[in-house]
Amino acid sequence: MALIAMLVVPGAVGLWLMTGGRALDVATARVIALVAAVVGGAAAVVASAQRPVIDRAWIPDLGVRWHFEIDGISAPLVALTAVIGVLVVAHAWAEQPWLDASGGERGSAATYLGALLLVVTGAFAAFSARDAVLFFIAFEVVLVPMWVLIGRYGDPHSEAKRADASARFILYTAIGSTLMLVGILLLVWQAGTADFAELPAAAADLSLGQQTLIATLLTLGLAVKVPVFPLHTWLPAAHTTAPTAGSVLLAAVLLKLGTYGLVRLPLANVPDGFSRIAPVLAIAGVIGILWGGLICLVERDLKRLIAFSSVAHMGFVVLALASGTETGVQAALIGNIAHGVISALLFVIVGGLKHRWGSVDLAIVRPALREVSPRLGFALILGLAAGLGLPGLAGFWGEFVALVAPWNPAQHTGILRTCAVIAAVGAALAAAYSLRVARIVWVGDEVSADAPHRAADTRGLELAVVAVLGAAVVAIGVAPVIVWSVTADAVSALVGGAP
Amino acid sequence: MSALTVSHWLVGLPVLAALATLALRRTPHLAALVAVLASLASVVLATIGLFVAPTRFQGIIQVREPVQVGGIEMPFELGAGPATAAVAAVVALVAAAVLVFTRWYLEDDDRLAQFAATVSLFTAAMMLVVHARDLVLTLIGWEVMGWCSYLLIGHWSRKESARRAAYKAFIVTRVADIGFVLGIVGLVAGAGSTGLDAVIDAWSGPDTPATPAVRSALLALVVIGVLGKSAQFPFQDWLPDAMEGPTPASALIHAATMVAAGTVVLAQLFPVLVHADGARWLLGIATAVTMVGAAALALGQSDLKRLLAWSTVSQVAIMLSALATATEEIGPDPALFHMWSHAVFKSLLFLTIGWLSVVAGSTLAVALRGAGNVHQLARVAWLFGLLALAGAPFVVGGLSKEHVLVTAYEGAIGSGGPGVIVLAALLVTVVLTAAYAMRAHLVVTAPLERAEPSAAGDDHPSGMPSDAVLAALAVLTVLTVVGGLILITGLFDIHRASQWWMLLTLLLISIGAGVSWLARSSGDPRDAFVRTRRHRALADRGLGFDTAYRRLIADPVLGLARVVAFLDREVVDGYVRGAAASAGIAGWFAERGHRREAPSAGVGLVALGLIVAAGTAVLTWR
Repeated sequence: MALIAMLVVPGAVGLWLMTGGRALDVATARVIALVAAVVGGAAAVVASAQRPVIDRAWIPDLGVRWHFEIDGISAPLVALTAVIGVLVVAHAWAEQPWLDASGGERGSAATYLGALLLVVTGAFAAFSARDAVLFFIAFEVVLVPMWVLIGRYGDPHSEAKRADASARFILYTAIGSTLMLVGILLLVWQAGTADFAELPAAAADLSLGQQTLIATLLTLGLAVKVPVFPLHTWLPAAHTTAPTAGSVLLAAVLLKLGTYGLVRLPLANVPDGFSRIAPVLAIAGVIGILWGGLICLVERDLKRLIAFSSVAHMGFVVLALASGTETGVQAALIGNIAHGVISALLFVIVGGLKHRWGSVDLAIVRPALREVSPRLGFALILGLAAGLGLPGLAGFWGEFVALVAPWNPAQHTGILRTCAVIAAVGAALAAAYSLRVARIVWVGDEVSADAPHRAADTRGLELAVVAVLGAAVVAIGVAPVIVWSVTADAVSALVGGAP
Repeated sequence: MSALTVSHWLVGLPVLAALATLALRRTPHLAALVAVLASLASVVLATIGLFVAPTRFQGIIQVREPVQVGGIEMPFELGAGPATAAVAAVVALVAAAVLVFTRWYLEDDDRLAQFAATVSLFTAAMMLVVHARDLVLTLIGWEVMGWCSYLLIGHWSRKESARRAAYKAFIVTRVADIGFVLGIVGLVAGAGSTGLDAVIDAWSGPDTPATPAVRSALLALVVIGVLGKSAQFPFQDWLPDAMEGPTPASALIHAATMVAAGTVVLAQLFPVLVHADGARWLLGIATAVTMVGAAALALGQSDLKRLLAWSTVSQVAIMLSALATATEEIGPDPALFHMWSHAVFKSLLFLTIGWLSVVAGSTLAVALRGAGNVHQLARVAWLFGLLALAGAPFVVGGLSKEHVLVTAYEGAIGSGGPGVIVLAALLVTVVLTAAYAMRAHLVVTAPLERAEPSAAGDDHPSGMPSDAVLAALAVLTVLTVVGGLILITGLFDIHRASQWWMLLTLLLISIGAGVSWLARSSGDPRDAFVRTRRHRALADRGLGFDTAYRRLIADPVLGLARVVAFLDREVVDGYVRGAAASAGIAGWFAERGHRREAPSAGVGLVALGLIVAAGTAVLTWR
């Protein structure tokens, strides 16, 4: 019941808002969307706790079933999506992307809110799907509303940028999805089942060559979504252009689909093939850590900077996965959740700054946040500290365990240990760029009361959104056990069940 | 109350105090008062801890189900031991003195509450490092301390110099922490657990998880992290710059936390360190270079606060050198004892100079000339602090330094470590330390030629600190004189030192102090040692290491970053744009083709379709 509510309520309301309810006035649409998000989110949390099952035959010829179930690996992600879903809808009170730069209406508020709800629905479905083909479909459902969000409701200042970013997003991820689809179909055809529960056993008989081929296709396709270097260039463009809520969804939900897919598909089903390509994945991840970190040292646009730091953080997650051990998967899962919360927090703040300032060019000297808007400044410094991996905040656990795991990997010890050493250097880069941002934006000279460009401090619903995310950052940092205790059994079944 | 309960409270109480202080930030004075009261409660707790501390070889740790992360166990345990209790007590004491002093020193600062909260959090992190029996907890405390130092050094963030100093301090230590993290990662991965005892068992026995060379390399990595946090060569340059922070922050960072934390961590890992010869050589040589170099630089500073900063660098090198040379029988306690006594006298010196600088309006030696005449207590505190710094016999610093000397001597004759080099460096350092301590004394207590102290008092109505501050200074002064009595309690496991060492150090100290005394004619004895303006500027800039960091590390990294940003834009993304462009061109051609819509094109398409269909039929014909 909870599972159905989680999928149907936001989905149906989202669809209706995009079609029948398009002409709805802003106030009503916002309330309806918020109610739908809260109901869907509550249902998702209940479903994560009760773990109900939906299992119906759908395409018998292919063995594809309508099979949803939440397990330990997906439960934290479903919960994350639920929270983020409510927050992004609530954020529509703080920022109104359906207005253009001069305050005129440029699109329907209801369509915008519907798109947000549909992204959340797609993510719920993808995280709870227990069937490979179903997973793929849910994975694709997310793309179109996201494209609408970037292309229609993105940066109101430049239409060309919006078109470029949204086209790049849809084409890039569609190519990735195609590769993944080929991989999934190959896997399902060879193994004779699409059910996640039966796939590992059924796929165990495949030859090493077949396993490697399938793993390569799946990993390549998913690597676009994560994104792994050098397939990351869609991300900064999409983040810079997307409205704040879109950036938050992109970072906290869409990227998570990529890493979740890596755990669920290649790692779980074709472990031997996956471990053969693991060194390549690890090296790509580590290059991503350095690459993203270095660019962040010189990047001028703050939104692009946070996007590149995402590339670096996902590098740690990928490195942990490449180790192929239980420790590695645990590190990847908590790193995933942590990045979701931290980058959501940072994007809400930076999006807010862009809204206030018109641009977030770091080369322009502006009044320091610590002087003019202490609450926003505090949230920013909290997010930056978490981003540089400060212990006691969420980012630390994923990074630390992601360094421990490759030390004793399943295979390829030499390469993975080298990668761990380089990744540790990348962690120092994170400190350098985070504090660079702090030095430019957070601290500064004393500001007189009538200085121009004073950023108004955060309040109302924006403050609430920031506070919830900040509290989550601290909570996961202080007690990572919240996540690990949920995922432990499922992870050991997943990795231990492999031959 | 068991020792274990005490250690939990000592970690937890400052955290709660930090949260409460931050919550009360709108009423800064009340907030600071809460922080002070909590720190006094910590002192009481720590004193109880001294009495209930377990005796030697009876360290107790809690037993609870460890957290299992994949194949790694994380027990997250705190412990208590005799030396731990002593160190915790001095940390609590210094933190309390610093907070009391802060309430007076930053009375008019609009961020007093934030400062007090950060000091409390800082103390909590140090307490965590002191009590941790789990390397992850150690790492947490270690990094949180680094973060708090960033906030404290950059407290006056409206000043560009403070912003830069805070950034530099965090980045330099974080770069060194690459080693610290990797060392811990390696040790933990080898032991399969983050518990300190599990790590020590796994790595100190005869069958280590890897070869002794790997053990040495991992410990050397940890040592690199320690060198960074403790401002040892080649990472030393962040610490003098950190003087940009308010003086109470300097007192805390230098005396009881941050720079001293490395000693605590290496003392915890001592059973492994003693078997890792490579790491001991690295530590020994780095500290030998640092203690002599920093002492020489201290002599040449034009700013007395920076003189104290360099003296910290030198003194921390002394305590770390004891760890590099100690044999297994001697153990880590001489180092911890020196850390203990250094905490007492260095906090005294910093708080005194904070007071004097309020009187004189600056920390420059020129301005501080004769400032000590403002109050009898200031003179006495400054004198005893410097005596302890120089290592005069019987005061607390003298006793502990002698034990370090003995340790280095035993190491030099007993085992193959870097003992000889360290011993030689120690003897040179004793002379230099006496010289700059004498200089500092001569400058501050010089007879006043100009205005009377009462006139100075009129200029600075707040020049006289509150009674609480005076009481705190008095307590620290008394402890500096009689603190050596802690040895009677047996909390530190230290062997007796011979009288001959005392005579030798006395001789060396009189040489150093005598040279400074003889050079006093020119006003500041420094002018006799560092004669030219250029050399003085060089000394003030710490031999130009800042430039070296920029040229050798920062500039190349930024250059690389620009190259990478260029590659990302033009090469990696170039393919993507190229693909998009070719799709666009293909679309344009297709569109043109459609637009013509000529019948001939339609016929052509039908013909093409027929050919394809026919081809398929032929191919599938069986």
